[in-house]
Amino acid sequence: MNAAGVVAAAGVGGQRFALELEALAVRLRRVTARVHTRGRGRFSGVGAGVIWSRDGLVVTNAHVVPGRRGQWPIVELFDGRSFEARLLARDAERDLALLALERSELEAATIGDARSLRVGEILVAVGHPFGLGGSLSVGVVHAVRRGDAEDAWIRADIRLAPGNSGGPLATLEGSVIGINSMVVRGLGVAVSAHVVEQFVHGVMRSAESASP
Amino acid sequence: MSSSSTATGGATLRALSDDLAAAVDRAAASVVAIHARPRIPASGVYWRDGIIVATSHTIRREQDITVTLPGGATGRAQLVGRDGGTDIAVLRLAPVPPSGPLAIPERAVTDSVRVGSLVLAVGRPGDDGVSASLGVVSTVGEKWRTWSGGEIDRFVRLDLAIYDGFSGGALVDATGRIAGVNCSALARGTPLTIPNVTVDRVVDALLTRGHVARGYLGVAMQPVRLTRAMAERFGLGTGEVATRGVLVVMIEADSPADRGGLLIGDVIVGIDGGAVGEPQDVAEHLSGERVGTRLELEIVRGGEKRTLPVTVGERRPSRDAKGDRQDPEGRGGGEQ
Repeated sequence: MNAAGVVAAAGVGGQRFALELEALAVRLRRVTARVHTRGRGRFSGVGAGVIWSRDGLVVTNAHVVPGRRGQWPIVELFDGRSFEARLLARDAERDLALLALERSELEAATIGDARSLRVGEILVAVGHPFGLGGSLSVGVVHAVRRGDAEDAWIRADIRLAPGNSGGPLATLEGSVIGINSMVVRGLGVAVSAHVVEQFVHGVMRSAESASP
Repeated sequence: MSSSSTATGGATLRALSDDLAAAVDRAAASVVAIHARPRIPASGVYWRDGIIVATSHTIRREQDITVTLPGGATGRAQLVGRDGGTDIAVLRLAPVPPSGPLAIPERAVTDSVRVGSLVLAVGRPGDDGVSASLGVVSTVGEKWRTWSGGEIDRFVRLDLAIYDGFSGGALVDATGRIAGVNCSALARGTPLTIPNVTVDRVVDALLTRGHVARGYLGVAMQPVRLTRAMAERFGLGTGEVATRGVLVVMIEADSPADRGGLLIGDVIVGIDGGAVGEPQDVAEHLSGERVGTRLELEIVRGGEKRTLPVTVGERRPSRDAKGDRQDPEGRGGGEQ
């Protein structure tokens, strides 16, 4: 279901809903990057990424940055600035990749915790479906796996398209609780933020121990 | 690692979101998983004391049916009856669990579901807890008849996703009150809701008689056009419907139509004084309460109009006991 549907259904409160959604979309767009690759050979399409830290770490899907020789990722920020990025790590199993920009003082996403989500709670996604920048999708939490607090995936009743890959799935407070990764039988599936945090920490730890 | 910018979400959106999550919580106590087919289980609603409503097309085996209850416990259920016409099946939970989160759902006020109403489909397609999808009601129409002859009191079409195993689950409003049972098998995959009033009627019929009575003539028909001259000659009037009728193309042996003397090639142009322009018009006269009563068929045979009395029979319940029978087109000619 799309945002317009929610707003239309809200009746007299519609105007306030629209304004709140708009503000949320603006906030999320500021921490959502557009990611594609440049170089030789076949390219993947355009995906999205989340600015994970002020000092230039960007998280996206592994399938957005295939990591082929002679190709490098390009990260474009919401303000139009575009940077070559270093591909620090790829984890195909969790469909995550970590990119580094030689920048600091970036506006980073607020990271939330998907483990406290309730079924039916409203979620939003921002991405670049069909190459259109900063598109917003609205949906709800579809299911929460009972007795499995460490569930790595979020299942959302939300309409996603390929350009949403690597982009944020967020709560109404703008906290990023997952990285949109795939569509399975119409369901949006995202990697839970705590899994992304583990991945990022793991990469940074091994980078530190490797440096002299 | 993450920045700590202040989270200032929209208060109105958050309130709605909390309401929706609470609505799902509330409905979850009434929505069960039904294990009666291979692979993905389907959903069911705890409708009355000890009684679960499910969709007939998701019940593939009539024995060894188990139910996953809201608390996660497993119960056993017996199939009481099913009605392929409305796709409703009734199961009896036996034994009823002594306690636990299982509850009969609170009903939405009749007619509270309108076009544009924000609604949730709540299902339990397995043991992993309850699932939900959000959308709006996209159509609310009159009473309608399904391709297999079931009568549904309101046509309620949904703009939301009915995921695998969602059939038999609850349609709830934003407060968690139930408006009906969801089904994706009545209109070629389109998500529909069978309203509470229809579910109640069918549950009553299945509990008392084991099946839903449905009138039956034993004919297959197709619409035909009459010339204006014919319509005038037979005194059918001059309107659009006057130039239409239904041609009898098949008659079951020893059926009510056969016993009444109807012949292949007869064109039915009226019943009990009302016009008949398509097979659906005949079906309108074959509701359960017409069983055993007499219909005055106005037919055209050999260039002459005549009236033929036919006593409505009862469709044998075994005819729609299959439940999972699928109609490839769901329209066209009619078999009544």
